[in-house]
Amino acid sequence: MKSFEYLQPTTLEEALAALPTSRDPKERERVRLIAGGQDLLTEMKEHLAEPDLVVDLKRIEGLDKIRVQSDGSLVIGATCTLAALEEHAHVREHFAVLSRAAGSVGSTQIRSVASVGGNLCQRPRCWYYRSEQIPCIKKGGAECFAYSGLNKYNAILGGGPSYIVHPSDLAPALVALGAEITLRSATQQRILPLERFFTLPSEGRVQQENDLGPGEMVVELKVPSLPAGAGTWRSDYFKVRERGSYDFALAALALALLVDDGTIRGARLCLGAVAPIPWRADKAEALLVGRKVDDEACRLAGEAALAGARPLEHNGYKLDLTRGLISKALRQLASS
Amino acid sequence: MSMHQEGSKPPREAAPGKRWIEVPKIVNGIDSTEWVEVDMESDAPTWGDRASLRVLNRDLRRVDGPEKVTGQARYPHDVRLPGMVWTRILCAPFPVCKAVVDLDAARKVPGVVDARELREGGQVTFLGQAVAAVSAETPEAAEDGLRALKPRYEQQGFAVTREQALADDAPKVNKDGNVGRERKNGNLDEVEAALAQCRWVAKGTYSVPVQHHASLETHGVVVDFRGGKEATIHASTQGTFTIADEAARELGLSAGSVKVEVPYMGGGFGAKFGLDVPGTIACRIAKDLSRPVHLFLTRKDEFLLAGNRSGAVQDLQLGADESGQLQALSAKVDRLGGRGDGSFAQQPYVYHVPKRFFHARSVFTHTDASRAFRAPGHPQASFGIESILDELAYQMGKDPLELRLANLPEKGRADWARQLERCAREIGWYQHPHRTAPGKPTEPVMTGIGFAVSVWGGGGGKECVVEVRISRDASLAVLCGTQDLGTGTRTYMAGIVAEVFDRPLRSVSTQIGSSTLGRANASGGSTTTASLAPAVKVAAENAKRALLETLAQADGTAARDWALAGGRVIAPEKGQGGPNSMSFEEACLKLPAAGISASGEWAASLAGNGVHGAQAAKVEVDLRTGGVRVVKMVGVQDCGLPLNRKALASQLQGGMIQALSYALFEERVIEPDLGVMLNANFEDYKIAGSREMPEFVALIDDDDTRQQVIGMAEPAIIPGHSAIANAVHNACGVRVRELPLTPDKILNGLALARGLAANKEAGK
Ligand SMILES: Cc1cc2nc3c(=O)[nH]c(=O)nc-3n(C[C@H](O)[C@H](O)[C@H](O)COP(=O)(O)OP(=O)(O)OC[C@H]3O[C@@H](n4cnc5c(N)ncnc54)[C@H](O)[C@@H]3O)c2cc1C
Ligand code: SF4
Repeated sequence: MKSFEYLQPTTLEEALAALPTSRDPKERERVRLIAGGQDLLTEMKEHLAEPDLVVDLKRIEGLDKIRVQSDGSLVIGATCTLAALEEHAHVREHFAVLSRAAGSVGSTQIRSVASVGGNLCQRPRCWYYRSEQIPCIKKGGAECFAYSGLNKYNAILGGGPSYIVHPSDLAPALVALGAEITLRSATQQRILPLERFFTLPSEGRVQQENDLGPGEMVVELKVPSLPAGAGTWRSDYFKVRERGSYDFALAALALALLVDDGTIRGARLCLGAVAPIPWRADKAEALLVGRKVDDEACRLAGEAALAGARPLEHNGYKLDLTRGLISKALRQLASS
Repeated sequence: MSMHQEGSKPPREAAPGKRWIEVPKIVNGIDSTEWVEVDMESDAPTWGDRASLRVLNRDLRRVDGPEKVTGQARYPHDVRLPGMVWTRILCAPFPVCKAVVDLDAARKVPGVVDARELREGGQVTFLGQAVAAVSAETPEAAEDGLRALKPRYEQQGFAVTREQALADDAPKVNKDGNVGRERKNGNLDEVEAALAQCRWVAKGTYSVPVQHHASLETHGVVVDFRGGKEATIHASTQGTFTIADEAARELGLSAGSVKVEVPYMGGGFGAKFGLDVPGTIACRIAKDLSRPVHLFLTRKDEFLLAGNRSGAVQDLQLGADESGQLQALSAKVDRLGGRGDGSFAQQPYVYHVPKRFFHARSVFTHTDASRAFRAPGHPQASFGIESILDELAYQMGKDPLELRLANLPEKGRADWARQLERCAREIGWYQHPHRTAPGKPTEPVMTGIGFAVSVWGGGGGKECVVEVRISRDASLAVLCGTQDLGTGTRTYMAGIVAEVFDRPLRSVSTQIGSSTLGRANASGGSTTTASLAPAVKVAAENAKRALLETLAQADGTAARDWALAGGRVIAPEKGQGGPNSMSFEEACLKLPAAGISASGEWAASLAGNGVHGAQAAKVEVDLRTGGVRVVKMVGVQDCGLPLNRKALASQLQGGMIQALSYALFEERVIEPDLGVMLNANFEDYKIAGSREMPEFVALIDDDDTRQQVIGMAEPAIIPGHSAIANAVHNACGVRVRELPLTPDKILNGLALARGLAANKEAGK
């Protein structure tokens, strides 16, 4: 990796002051934030990122905390590690999907340092993007090589002109829970629904996967409690990967169900690894309410979630996979 | 390939009291055989009765385990020397191109001491070829220097896939084109006629991808040359004695003045013989700089230019008569070894088919040459035959285990039959619900079982010179230049000596991995143990004899009246009273200050040749997600006399693990249009991890009562992936003819089957 300067601020203000506010992507690239480094370092080793300055967030007091509010909602600091999130007792009990999603990331070693903010802001895994030699659209080139190439891991939904899948496992869980993200720059603070934080490649900036503006960073996530209703919420994260020991998902589903005497009263579904953003399946959610989990419900939910899917040459299997996953998850969660 | 080469004969009549035997000879990990003249069996040494063994044929813990797990073992990569420079090489990221580099810019980088081109005119002829090297005072400076080269690549036409290589207008990999090394036997017309007569015929094209050795320690050396007349090479190698000649040539020294040190090495699996690319470059730089050079490949370089297991595409047709007796096989095989030949055992592999046609050829591509890899050519052949056998069995509505048992070859039939049946019992085949047809996808998760067999040589030869020393403090030492690839060489060496002297294992120390010690063969073809163990045994017996002779001489008695028993030395009776015994410690005190040393060489009677194995796998296939989970694997392996049962079971288990990984995950991915390798890292090149591990049952076949040592480490890897693929088919009816068995293929197979069923329904 290229040599760089290293800054270890102890306050948020100091860190934010170090971030360039220029809109020029080249300027912005000169400074990179680092938390656990599990993504940034791999990018630097492959020379996909060559910052002059690396700003370490881990010394910032309090930024790694998980706070439980009086209403039971959560506030998760950006540098909270995935291990801490996974093991947090309140999260386990009331936000099982989040704990399980965190626990599904990488390996024990990775989770022990990887942060929540870094997980949401990590760059794509598309192997064309990850090869320095290949100048694809993501890197400012003119072509998406995956589109006509080896695309078994790429998107079936929401693709074009880049067909990455969003790699984060936390993102679908947090979106399903209706989390909000707090962004700060030296001059302002913004809070927006996490769902809106992630951006499709067709929405303008192909070289970025989210709405992070110049000089901005993620400071925390607010996760509301699921709305009370008849019955109890159950939630879980279902992830299919080629290799269980550590691997990114082929398809994943963050699922929360409010079940009352066998009938679904509320549902949250968000798919991972099928689209460039966490893919909220709101049509499927609406359709499940009032039904029992049976073959028909599973089939309908699968169809609704995949509406508009356009597989590429080698990823058509993801349709069956996603349908199978939704049906498996609904049955498992409803009967748990 | 079976060890014995067809039609090979001894060179002449045996001398009186001698006989000829054929032993394996490994060159660069590729096996062939040669004839050697040995003593008649009558006066040859033996291992003694199995029942009488106290140390061997038991579970021995690795003597070097603690050093390894506590990080005290110093591997070649760990060597740091005063004045050492760090070298990095630039590997071409494209298959055929002209690379233009800026050497001056690299030389200007602080800390860089040398930058050089390695290819004349920068012409690159295969993906990953080493283009330039930069050496510096630190590894970081070396990498900065490498970046400063700012390589530009002028790309030219290439062929990286089989289809590209076989296209009419394909760029040529070799002068003579992209196809070569044809091997053909049998008569195609006859076989086709026979197939036409068969009641049952199965056809299929079976492919295996290129697999990487993925040893934890990458290829490399530290060359300790500081000018002068001597050099030491610290090498991560499978052959302590395969390096000095080449290194000496590069350094301009005599071979005798180049020492090679391999106290530990981090795995090779067949890819680490000779000085190799990094070694050659490092020697040249060391020579020019008169400084030690550290050059180890990065993980990415390792994927690109350190060899691999060749892929294969096999077109097979297999026919059987009404009763299930195999009749005819036609096999057309393409070996995919990059710019190398690749390897492929033969078809039919193991099973007996009276009429057969076999035609193999190499299809060359602009990628790194394949190398030997644990049982070269066998896993490929196994996958073809074992897959098509199952397909044929289910076509006939027959139990695939029975089909196997009915078609084993005459030689070895009893061994494989016993092993297969043992596997079947252990894995639960006889209670399995669907044995004559694959499972119908009724449950979301279906269970299946599959089988496969292996064959190997594993013999040894007169290759090693071993020394055994006895010191006055009663410690024993065994010394030989051989290397330990992690298989446990040190442990059985110590075990054999402990057995001969009836001393505890811990009283024997081992010294290996240095060219200053007795010569030894390279570790290839599983020949290490069968070559080394007999020499250790003979050396230990010689040392014991020398000990008793020394004691007898000092005592003025005859050596034949002295003995070693129960760890004590028994001296002849003196005057009245019974035999006179003393402790081993007391006896050793009577030795000269320098102790006693004896050496030994191989004895044919102590080593055998030819092993058989069978494995079974039980899998669960999740029909909703296409996920395959291996839940249990059983391996049964014969190996003659087991020296260390724990190490043998560990080898067998390791082979099953590597086969599981090959079955489910491993595959080199080269982008066909760009020529770039997309998964040259341990994230995208997937290798099975701890969560993929099933229950393992690793069984040594004790019905093999040969009192001879035979190697078995390689065959352990041969059948596992085939058994897993068969188990998947048995579970749900999806036959994946192209490894690895990833969820996409399972789901596509299920979708195809549903489509066919729906069509059938519609047609009714
Ligand atoms: C082998 C391996 C396997 C993996 N498997 C998975 C997996 O299964 N699932 C999964 O989700 N991930 C996986 N990952 C990715 C890893 O989990 C994430 O990269 C990790 O969570 C990132 O967190 P970090 O703190 O290490 O981020 P860093 O590497 O420190 O940062 C990641 C990116 O986010 C930016 N960043 C960091 N913090 C902030 C912030 N507060 N505000 C704005 N930008 C910020 C950085 O500049 C950088 O671009 C894997 C990674 C590896 C190496
Ligand atoms: S999917 Fe995106 S990252 Fe991958 S090749 Fe296409 S543009 Fe590049």
